[in-house]
Amino acid sequence: MGYSGARGGLEAILAAEDLVRRKRDHAPAPWASTEQITARFRLAVDRVMGEAGLYDEPTAAAAFRQAEGDTLEASHLLRAQRSTLPRLAVSEAVDPGEMTVLRRIVPAFREPDGPQLLGRTSDYTGRLLERPEGPPEPPTEESARTEVTEVTEVPERTEEQRSPRRFLDLLRKLDLVSEGRTGDDPEPHDITRKPARPPADRSAVLAAMARAESGALVALWYRSVLGPDGDVHEITLGELRHGRLPLRVRHPHTGNPVTVGEFRVTEAEAIEDLDGADEDRTRFDIGYGLCFGHNERKAIAMANLDIANRRFGRSGPLEQLLLLTVDGLDSGGFLEHLKLPHYVTFRSMVERKQAMRAAAEAGEDLPARAAEPTGKDCR
Amino acid sequence: MTHVWSRERRCALLAEAERAELIELADACIADGAEVRVLVAPEVGCVTAQVREPVLAQRFLLGDVLACRAEVEVAGHRGWAMRLGDDRAAVLAAAVLDAEVQSGRPRTADVDRLCERVARRRERQESQEWAELAPTVVEFEELT
Repeated sequence: MGYSGARGGLEAILAAEDLVRRKRDHAPAPWASTEQITARFRLAVDRVMGEAGLYDEPTAAAAFRQAEGDTLEASHLLRAQRSTLPRLAVSEAVDPGEMTVLRRIVPAFREPDGPQLLGRTSDYTGRLLERPEGPPEPPTEESARTEVTEVTEVPERTEEQRSPRRFLDLLRKLDLVSEGRTGDDPEPHDITRKPARPPADRSAVLAAMARAESGALVALWYRSVLGPDGDVHEITLGELRHGRLPLRVRHPHTGNPVTVGEFRVTEAEAIEDLDGADEDRTRFDIGYGLCFGHNERKAIAMANLDIANRRFGRSGPLEQLLLLTVDGLDSGGFLEHLKLPHYVTFRSMVERKQAMRAAAEAGEDLPARAAEPTGKDCR
Repeated sequence: MTHVWSRERRCALLAEAERAELIELADACIADGAEVRVLVAPEVGCVTAQVREPVLAQRFLLGDVLACRAEVEVAGHRGWAMRLGDDRAAVLAAAVLDAEVQSGRPRTADVDRLCERVARRRERQESQEWAELAPTVVEFEELT
C-alpha cells in the first residue's frame, strides 16, 4: 500500500482482493459473457464508454463485468486502459449532421424537416416492474414470417429519413437564432493532455461535459434550474438524436479521408430564450450536447449547460464547476481515497486540539483565526 | 463484373469485413510465396474523435475510439489498414489485401468481390434496421 503513513497489511489486502475475484468469477450463476453484457446492458455499457472517454463496446463490457456493475469503477478501469494506448490519429472533424439516426425527436415543433422517429424507447408508455420466471419464449415461426413480410413492405430509406435536416437550420431560416459563428477555427483543447482551468476555451468545456459522470452533469443542470444560480431559464429541448457517426482519418498514402468505422452518439440541442439587457431579445440561442453512446439525460443536460455556460459561466461559478467537479474519476477518486488509512493525518488533528486545549487551560490567548475566503484560486 | 472501388472506399469496406473472411483471403493471397514485409506491426491504439458542432461551428474532441492499424509491403507494394477494435490479425489481413490490390496481383478481383459482399451485407443490415425503425415514425396531434 503506497499511501499515507501506514504500511503492512499485505496478506489481508491480498485476501480481500481474492475474495472479490472468487465471489465474482465463481458465483453460483452462469458466466456473463461480453456479448451478453453488450446486448442486455447496452445503456450501462454506453454510459461507461462516455464517462471513460473511450469508445469500444467489448472493452467497456469487460470493465463493467470486472467492476461488478459499478459504472464509475468500470469507467475508471477503461480510462486507465486508455492511458496505456498510443494515439494513432485525430479524426477528421465530423459534422454531426451526417448522423444516421436511430432515434430523432423534435419536442419543440410538430413538423420539422424529416421524420420524428421514436426509435427504441419506452418514453411514452407506463413502465411497471416485470419479473419473468425465465427467459422469454423465442419468436414463433408465424411471428417471424410476419416480420419478414413487414420488412419487404417498407420502402427504401430516403436521405431525409437517414439524416434529417436539423431543427436549428429551420430556426436559422426563420431568422430566429442569434448568430454566433465568427468563422474562426481555433484548435480544440485536448483535456486528456492538458487539464483545463478557467477561463477555458468552449472546446475544453464541451470535452469535459462529454466525459462527465452522467449523474453529476444532471445534478448540476438541476441546480442550475432550481438552485441559487438560476443559470438555466427556459428549458426547451429543440432536438434529440441517437445514431451513428463515421470516424474518418487521413489515409497515409493518398492523403484523402477514409472511413474506418462508425460510433454511436447522443446529440441534443437546447433552445434558450435570450432576455438579458445586452442580448438580442428578438432571437433565441442554442446550447449543444453530444456524448458517446445512448445517454439522453447526459446529452440534454450538456446542451442546457453549454448555453448557460456561454451566458453566465464567468459571471458565476458555472465554468469552474463544469471544468473541475463533474468528472466522475476526479470526484469519485477523491471520495474513495478517504477510505484509506489516515491515522497520521487524524493524529495530528487530535494533537492540535490537545495543544490548543492545553494552551487555553494555561491561560494563553488562542491565536486569532481569519475566515477562509469564499471560493479559492484554481490551480 | 466486379465494381471498381477507390482505395479509400475499399479500405472502408475492409474495415467492416468479418475477421474470418479477411484472414482466409489474405492467406490465399500470400500462399504463392510472395514476399511480405510487415512495415508497421498491428498496433492497438486510439483515434480521437473530433467533432465540429453545428451551433458555433467550433471543433471539440469528443473522446477516443479504440482502433488498430497495420502496414505491410507485398511484392514491393505497400498496403495499409485501420479498423475499429483491437483485432490485430484482422487488421494485418486487411493491410495484405490492400497491398494485393495495389500491386495488381492475381487475387485483386477476389478482394474486390469481398468488398462487394461487405457492401451488400451492409445494405441488407440497413434495410433491416429501417424496417424495424420505420413503424416508430410518429406525427403527434396538436391540441388546439
